[in-house]
Amino acid sequence: MQQNLRPKKGIRASILMHVAWRNLVSKKLRTILTVVGVIIGIGAIYFLLSFGLGLQKLVTDEIIGNKSLKLVEVVSPNSEIITLDQEMVGRVSSLVHVDEVSVEYSYPGLLSLNGGEIDVVTYGVDEAYADFVSLNLINGRLLNESDTQRIIINTSTLESIGIENPREAIGQTVALGVPLKSSDPDQKDISADFQIVGVIDSGAGSEAFIPSGIFSAAGVDSYKTLRILADEPENVATLRQEIESIGLETQSPADTLDQVGQIFDFFNVIMISFGSIGMLVAVIGMFNTITVSLLERTREIGLMVALGARRADMRKLFIIETTMISVIGAAIGILIAMLSGFLLNLLMNQLAGQRGVDSSFSIFINPPWLIGSMMLFMVIIGLLVAALPSRRAEKINPIDALRHE
Amino acid sequence: MSKIEGEKAALTLSNTSQSFSVGDETIDVLKGISFSIKPHTFNIIYGQSGSGKSTLLNILSGLQKPTKGTVHYEGRDIYKLSSNDLAYFRAHRIGIVYQQNYWVKSLNVIENVSMPLYLQGYTKSQAETEGLKALKSINMDSYAKKYPTLLSGGEQQRVAMARAIVNNPSIIIADEPTGNLDSTNGDMIMDLLVRYQTVLNRTVILVTHNMEYLTLADHLLNIKNGVVIDMQGKSITETTEGLIKGIRQRVDHFAINKKRRKHAAKS
Repeated sequence: MQQNLRPKKGIRASILMHVAWRNLVSKKLRTILTVVGVIIGIGAIYFLLSFGLGLQKLVTDEIIGNKSLKLVEVVSPNSEIITLDQEMVGRVSSLVHVDEVSVEYSYPGLLSLNGGEIDVVTYGVDEAYADFVSLNLINGRLLNESDTQRIIINTSTLESIGIENPREAIGQTVALGVPLKSSDPDQKDISADFQIVGVIDSGAGSEAFIPSGIFSAAGVDSYKTLRILADEPENVATLRQEIESIGLETQSPADTLDQVGQIFDFFNVIMISFGSIGMLVAVIGMFNTITVSLLERTREIGLMVALGARRADMRKLFIIETTMISVIGAAIGILIAMLSGFLLNLLMNQLAGQRGVDSSFSIFINPPWLIGSMMLFMVIIGLLVAALPSRRAEKINPIDALRHE
Repeated sequence: MSKIEGEKAALTLSNTSQSFSVGDETIDVLKGISFSIKPHTFNIIYGQSGSGKSTLLNILSGLQKPTKGTVHYEGRDIYKLSSNDLAYFRAHRIGIVYQQNYWVKSLNVIENVSMPLYLQGYTKSQAETEGLKALKSINMDSYAKKYPTLLSGGEQQRVAMARAIVNNPSIIIADEPTGNLDSTNGDMIMDLLVRYQTVLNRTVILVTHNMEYLTLADHLLNIKNGVVIDMQGKSITETTEGLIKGIRQRVDHFAINKKRRKHAAKS
């Protein structure tokens, strides 16, 4: 037995936890009320934050779509002076933080099928384009390097020419005309038949995508837009500065994201402020419980010191007790808040479904960092609450304490 | 229970004083006392209420640093130790029994008895194995899972005795342990203390008001107005006989007074 002794180490943390737990259990009602206070306080903050962040994500996703945060879109402020030609592509590609570059032509065109005609925005894109812009493929496939007379159209175009089922469109041949000569006599008009290989869902406007090679063969030497993928999101700002120094204009989904973020930061602060009222009540409850517990147990502390407890152990005992209340309260509070969010989300989806919204959505999110940081926050609050009572416990004079009534 | 370093136990007080300030007034509770406690002996401190007995015990048990003087244990001044080392000294070397029973109320008997071992760094199961042995030694093992405050005064005091010996202390300090007990339970506690001293070779320091227990002492210390009269030189029998003679005189005095009052009432 003696060899298992830990000289001058004092009481084990597991035993302090046991003593703290037994004390909490022995005062069931008081402990439950205190824990309920913490549950309400932390649960309210978590619920509101989960809602705020969920809403932010929903809005961000809607705005940004599936665009990568590494994306930089480059256009020329004046295509007469600065041309987005192959030389410019080479120059931009050579910048340090550039991972991949995609080019895009866009011109108005006329698409004909089954005797029907429709104005479409015609994009000339390369294979890399799909890495930059989310092409929500409904049927068929995307364009690849070897494609020549192939076309992808969107569902709006299909609907305009009277085809309901996207599957029916695959394999059909459309005639596409893109007048280019009028803007530059050196260019040739595009007028050819294209076979539909894919149907995408890209929103309300009619759009068609053909290989970029068709435009370059027609003598178009300047692109409308360059899309650049930076190596890392944090290098986007540097990359943009470098590109803008050439005289080009840049845009990034991060711009929108920053604006949305600022609005929601403010929104979340308001949410936390509301939740903090409950938290304040919980903190007062915890402080009261621990202080009363200290007063009630003055004699017990005196006894333990007389029996050989170190004063620091008595401080730890109260810190552990407060931390237990914090952790249990926070865990239950977060669980209840998550469950409430889940149920409310279910209800909202059901209501939205009844009003014709097909896709499901989440207005409450539970990222692990939020759960972790809320737990940590509550533990820190617990430690702050315990600071004063635990210091008092440490300073108790055992002789006076044993005389304490 | 194995015997530990009881052989080394020896407490020495040198010119120890203790005073307390109450408002502007300073009260000298102990006035420069000096004595030594030999290892494995049964020591009894007796004296009137307010004579400074409890203060002396607090100093001996490492809870009260004296205003002046030193307290040496195994050649070291215990009040020159750091706070943690002093706690270590109390946890390893001292076993205490009080007149009043003190418990950690949320813990049961076995957990309370094991407390000194918990404080030494034992695991729960290790401490409780030893705690159960201590309870068995006083036939209280069947009470292990009960809560101490639900036991009778005598039972509580016996459990307190188990707690005082569970850490194999070299010194057992008992502050009027029979003060709240009837004579049967009181005698049981005294028998245990005698057993600890004689069989387990512990040093016992007992404060008591009960003169009938004085004959158990190897060493008597009479404390009067903060001064200790060490009865080391006198024989125990001589001292106790003197004290018992004093009791007889008080009994006679009350009997005579009562007779006189009855007589006066009749006439």
